[in-house]
Amino acid sequence: MKRLALAVISFAGLGLVAQTKPAERWFEDITKKAGVDKKHTNRVFENPYATIMAGYTALGASVAVADYDGDGFDDVYTTDSKAGGKNHLWRNNHDLTFTDRAEAAGVANANEGDNAVADSMWFDFNNDGRPDLFVVKFGHSQLFENLGGGKFKDITKAAGLDRYSNAITAIAFDYDRDGKLDLFVGSYFQPINIFQPDSPRFFPESFETANNGGGLTAYHNLGGGKFADVTEKLGMKLSGWTLDLGHADADNDGFDDLYVACDFGTDRFFHNNGNGTFTDISEKAIGVDSKKGMNVDWGDYDNDGLLDIYVTNITDDYMREGNFLWHNNGNLTFSDVSRETATFETGWGWGSKFFDYDNDGWLDLYVMNGWVSAGKDSYVPDIFNMVTKPGIDFADARNWPPMGDKSLSGYEKKRLFHNDKGQIFKDEAARHGLDNKKDGRGIAIADFNNDGKLDIMSANASSEPNLFVNTMPSGRHWIQFLLEGKQSNRSAVGAQVRLKFGETTRLQYVSGGNSFAGQSTARVHFGLADTAKVDQIEVRWPTGQKEVFASVTVDKLNKIVEGTGKKVK
Amino acid sequence: MKLRNLTLVKLILTGLLLTGLIVPAFAASEAEIAKAEQAMSAKDYTTAITVLEAALQSDPDNIRAGSDYRQAIMRKSMAAHPKEGAPADFDRCVAFFEKLVAANPKASVAYLNYGFCSVDKIPAAGSITQVLLANAALGQFSKSIELKPSWIALYTRGNSYLYWPVIFGKAGLGVADLERAYGMQKSEPTRAYHQRLYISLGDGYWKTDNIDKARAIWKEGLSKFPDSKQIKARLDRKDDDLKSYIDDQLDPGKRVDTDLHEIWEAK
Repeated sequence: MKRLALAVISFAGLGLVAQTKPAERWFEDITKKAGVDKKHTNRVFENPYATIMAGYTALGASVAVADYDGDGFDDVYTTDSKAGGKNHLWRNNHDLTFTDRAEAAGVANANEGDNAVADSMWFDFNNDGRPDLFVVKFGHSQLFENLGGGKFKDITKAAGLDRYSNAITAIAFDYDRDGKLDLFVGSYFQPINIFQPDSPRFFPESFETANNGGGLTAYHNLGGGKFADVTEKLGMKLSGWTLDLGHADADNDGFDDLYVACDFGTDRFFHNNGNGTFTDISEKAIGVDSKKGMNVDWGDYDNDGLLDIYVTNITDDYMREGNFLWHNNGNLTFSDVSRETATFETGWGWGSKFFDYDNDGWLDLYVMNGWVSAGKDSYVPDIFNMVTKPGIDFADARNWPPMGDKSLSGYEKKRLFHNDKGQIFKDEAARHGLDNKKDGRGIAIADFNNDGKLDIMSANASSEPNLFVNTMPSGRHWIQFLLEGKQSNRSAVGAQVRLKFGETTRLQYVSGGNSFAGQSTARVHFGLADTAKVDQIEVRWPTGQKEVFASVTVDKLNKIVEGTGKKVK
Repeated sequence: MKLRNLTLVKLILTGLLLTGLIVPAFAASEAEIAKAEQAMSAKDYTTAITVLEAALQSDPDNIRAGSDYRQAIMRKSMAAHPKEGAPADFDRCVAFFEKLVAANPKASVAYLNYGFCSVDKIPAAGSITQVLLANAALGQFSKSIELKPSWIALYTRGNSYLYWPVIFGKAGLGVADLERAYGMQKSEPTRAYHQRLYISLGDGYWKTDNIDKARAIWKEGLSKFPDSKQIKARLDRKDDDLKSYIDDQLDPGKRVDTDLHEIWEAK
């Protein structure tokens, strides 16, 4: 082993290390060239528990995509978390460069006082066709209404959303099909002010079944710019350490269900009853989980017409949880096929997204990894010394060892899993230059240059983001859709698109912000490989109405408006 | 589980006893063990558990009753909860042996089985509880060795150390135990279960970066057990391929076979 290492070093010295040839590498890192290389910095707390908290709050690097100015090119919002740190609204200049318009737009400042940004999400809550912005925080999250003309207005208080919580994730979907996007916010710590906690007992009480976290809050969109807390009414009162939420229709009944990924304990699966309530069917759907759920994304990876779920957990030498690839069995139960598909082990997982990077018609996966990359000493023995102390009270922050400059699951590579026909995945991250060792957090997928190939922007804790443009040689066909709801919510979140050609049907849906600390394009993208003609598409709108559209064009973005197709049952 | 030929078993156990491998184990009635094994064959695990608890109370160091008891607990758990069972299903076993060793503080095999209860529970437990269970098991195995440093106790503790991540520095301790067990087995006729020692000692050498010693002990093992697929698999692999294989074999999330029937079935 040592001889091999020496050999590699020798070759490196001679500049002879084999690298992927440009033609074989299909992504180019254009972060600096694009002008989006603004560093995220973790929040440093100033309280008696600061040295302990530092290890558990390396969060807040997020990336959210939307075409906020309606110019036909996707833009990006990225976040910072340090005290006074500015967020960035990257307006797409149409040439793979971006200009920060956050200050002018009024969405740059969000880290003042007892506030640390944790995530961000676009959603058109008032159906005016302009994506609005929700900035998720440890502190007071904010809703900014997009006024058009590059201006935003903070309407948090008027919307009824002003409250302290340690929110870490948010998604929006229309759970009751009333045509308005509802808001679901997941919180990590319970709602105590963690900037100045009045008790040391605010850490997780258990590593596997903790129930002293922030849970989730469901807000019903009342219209008129108002929201109401309906968490209890929906049957969603939880107290887990929520890290991510993911919505989609698991049983194709026309109502979106909800997966809740929780750190330190049990993930939850809520079935939408179709009457404005949900039922927690976790045990039946996914069993009793005790892992560290970090991410939820839905996608039909095996093209069987049912949406599956990918959840990251922690996998390292000292904690071998493995990720979940929940195969949807079609009866509201899921089977974990992560080992069989080679998606089990990635590292300390974070955001991950299904997307078809090579347009071969099969959803691939990009996975962020790594917690804290710092000094050469490991924090693992410290944490296990604590864990093995008899009778220790984990909830008491004072019992947790300070992390100092130690690393914990740091310097982990990101993974790009190429999907081989829904059977097995192969890591191609190194080949495509996507295996950097930054502490990855969120991922956003979008076609930033409208060339039919999906690009990647990833957010990294205490580091610059990465913008990778897809440079795959042309040849494979693709098709994109941008849906506009009329009866449904205008951005058609929750709509399912079934693409039909020959005997083949492919399913995609419009996501309302699924995956940890990342929001991808609102467009629906299908890779078509060598298929140059599509027979028809069927859209099941969020209202439940189905329509088919015959005249859609391959290798193009197709705009589809609700009510303009042929209605079908 | 198939019924075993009790007469043959008795002879084998007598042989093991003579070689100093295990402590006397015949106070439990053969009829009780037979009844329990019959119940296990009929998947009546509740009966098997009750009968074996009674047998162990009268004969705490009966290695066969202890092993069968844990098997019954595990099978009952898996029948009730698919895959690896539910953590609470194993609590009866842990509580039973906790009381048993408290009442019989010199029962080295009981301590061994007590530790195995924790090992049996590991795949059903969460990742941190796994560490606590592994730690607890090491404590019970150490107590067993302290009372009687038998081959099985040394092999068990040595092998357990290998499941710990490198960062905890336990692999060297594992090698030390396994080398002691190796010394014992060299002075006795080759038995089927000796194959396990060759595998584990090689893994221990590999984990402590002594790849040449690892290959040497695996080769020696293969010369004794030419059909050993596990030894061959190690010798056929190199570098990262070997690392992946051994990491997979020593994955604490995977169930470890703690059925001790090889001990009393040994020739």
